[in-house]
Amino acid sequence: MSTTDPARTDLGFTDPDPRRGGPLDRLPAIVIPVVSVLLAFAIGGILIWLQGVNPFQAYYVLFSNALGTTEGLLRVMQKSTPLILTGLAVTVGLRAGLFNIGAQGQLLVAALGTAWAGYNFQMPMVLHIPVALVFGMLCGAAWASIAGALRAYRSVSEVITTIMLNSIAIALVDYLASEPFKEPDQPLTRTPEIAPTAMLPTFGIVPSGFLIAIVVAIVFGWLLSRTTQGFRFNTVGLNPSAARYAGISVKGTILLAMAVSGALAGMGGAIETLGVTGRFEPAFNAGLGFDGITIALLARANPIATIPAAILIGTLRSGAAALQFQTGIEPEVVDVILAITLLLVSAPIVARLLFRKRNIKQTQVTQGWGS
Amino acid sequence: MHRKIALAAVAAASAVVLAACGGSGGGSSSSSAAGGQGDCPGADAFCIGLVTDTGKVDDKSFNQSAWEGALEAASATGGYAKYVETVDPKDYENNINQFIQAQYDVIVTVGFLMGEASIAAAKANPNVQFIGVDQFQGEEIPNLTGLVFPEDKAGYAAGYLAGLMTKTGKIGAVLGTDTVPPVKLFGEGYKAGALAANPSVEVTLVYHAPDNAFNDPEWGAAEAKKQLAQGADIIFGAGGNTGNGALIEIAKAPGAGESIFCIGVDTDQFFTVPQAATCLLTSAEKKLTLGTRTLIEQAQAGTRKGGNYFGLTGLAPYHDTEAAVPDDVKAKVAEVIAGLDAGTIMTNVTL
Repeated sequence: MSTTDPARTDLGFTDPDPRRGGPLDRLPAIVIPVVSVLLAFAIGGILIWLQGVNPFQAYYVLFSNALGTTEGLLRVMQKSTPLILTGLAVTVGLRAGLFNIGAQGQLLVAALGTAWAGYNFQMPMVLHIPVALVFGMLCGAAWASIAGALRAYRSVSEVITTIMLNSIAIALVDYLASEPFKEPDQPLTRTPEIAPTAMLPTFGIVPSGFLIAIVVAIVFGWLLSRTTQGFRFNTVGLNPSAARYAGISVKGTILLAMAVSGALAGMGGAIETLGVTGRFEPAFNAGLGFDGITIALLARANPIATIPAAILIGTLRSGAAALQFQTGIEPEVVDVILAITLLLVSAPIVARLLFRKRNIKQTQVTQGWGS
Repeated sequence: MHRKIALAAVAAASAVVLAACGGSGGGSSSSSAAGGQGDCPGADAFCIGLVTDTGKVDDKSFNQSAWEGALEAASATGGYAKYVETVDPKDYENNINQFIQAQYDVIVTVGFLMGEASIAAAKANPNVQFIGVDQFQGEEIPNLTGLVFPEDKAGYAAGYLAGLMTKTGKIGAVLGTDTVPPVKLFGEGYKAGALAANPSVEVTLVYHAPDNAFNDPEWGAAEAKKQLAQGADIIFGAGGNTGNGALIEIAKAPGAGESIFCIGVDTDQFFTVPQAATCLLTSAEKKLTLGTRTLIEQAQAGTRKGGNYFGLTGLAPYHDTEAAVPDDVKAKVAEVIAGLDAGTIMTNVTL
């Protein structure tokens, strides 16, 4: 384990060999998230039942509205897209031993940057979409790199800096969207609409952004498990000291991982702007980055698993309005279910640390927080 | 150390996510029948749907007043009323569509921010009647009526009263965002009224940032505290839960109701925020419930017109602070309100 970096946050996602270790590790990786989700639905069902509604009927309404109609499916895909990407952003961080809580801030900065590139540039569609997308991703990467650099060079915990950068990002985009980038001659805080050449197309009922997100998740599944760079991420995440001894630049890997994480969160914001909202309006991006944390933990930091995790959350969020319309259950029940899921998938992490690391002596005089 | 960090990180993540999810109020279920509330039984019945802005139907402000108007209209017309609460502003359209698909006759959309979604839905569904609460209509659409209020008049009356009542010569206002015109009209009207009553009064207006402007009671409370510390003795709180947070904070201040007063907004907040009753001088009222009810009844009778419908404004009764307001002040304020209604007093507020 690391004894040289006090800012390191070990969440138990960095062990490449799950066969070693305590009793929890012998379970297949899929058991804990599935059990967590089922338990959360059961607890949510009790809450629904306490409000006088049959929980089975309520869940049927929620899922049939979200998945049983064309508009519902489109909404599910639209809502899942940024969630896959913010989930991936948090996942990439976790694999390199970084807990990026700042996906929300990175997404906001990127969504605004994308909108700016979307309405400011005049170019043909084949260029405009990739340019706006990459511009947004660079904004997200740059924002995350502030936390990455502070972590790599000053050993400042990224948990703290990314949380603080979220607040700064909210204030920054509010200012930019209400002053210099504001759509003129109307009262709302928002940018002008992006050019039609920057709008992401929809194939039938499938938004192209959704396809992009799936491809990116698969690519990252391959990158993290089959490439040298992925090995560097995993090694630094697992044991920075060993990584350094093996000749891997720990600082460089931390910087890169944070930038990639920010770029992925940024891509979520960029696709949201180019494919759904068509402009930047601060309230339209609320919560997407925070859901990414739930998704990454639910997916056990497995890039491919972020796809079903994000679709599950997208489905819940999409069906919430129909749930209230048809049963009177308040839409916030979805947040309750997600919060319970998050607690349950987090609990094994804690349990694992308690089982496995109890006997490790801590000898270092620490400089960081939490000691 | 690791264990502690991991625990702290998990706790932090949970806290962040929970905070992001927002509070869940204990609103009444829309399926339980109360008065004219309930599911639309079919095409023959007169059915009223209401979509809230991001916030709950029991927000003690906008959403709630409009919903009460819908309920009153439902019992007056023998119709049925039902609501859907918006969580994500991207769902405005979807929430409106729930009612369109169920063939509701009138759909009330609450709040300025839903203006564009209402216009789009009204244009796409010419046979459904829409009422946009607080949505000024620039272009006249036959099946959409904007229920709007001269907020500057209500703010002016409140400011006039505050200008007459202040002992310290300093008054304040804690407001939602100035990017929403009605909020700015309240604030600027308040300032104009106070200066008309007492040209030497010092007025401090503070507006929230646009994001989460109407649901940040902690910020509202902190700003109210700041203004009290700076010597303000009358503070106007206007902006959903943000303003309510300010009112509740002022009610806790020493001298609340004797030397320190607060002024509410939109509805008579003596009833909607009872925690603030001790300091509440009055509320700058938009007669939202009445306006919503009137428009729904007009919709049923077939007399509703497109464009804008101007509702009434005024000041709510003094209630507990009745004794603290001198009779000559009451008389002057009543005179000013009459002048505002008659158009003989102009607020001269422009955005």
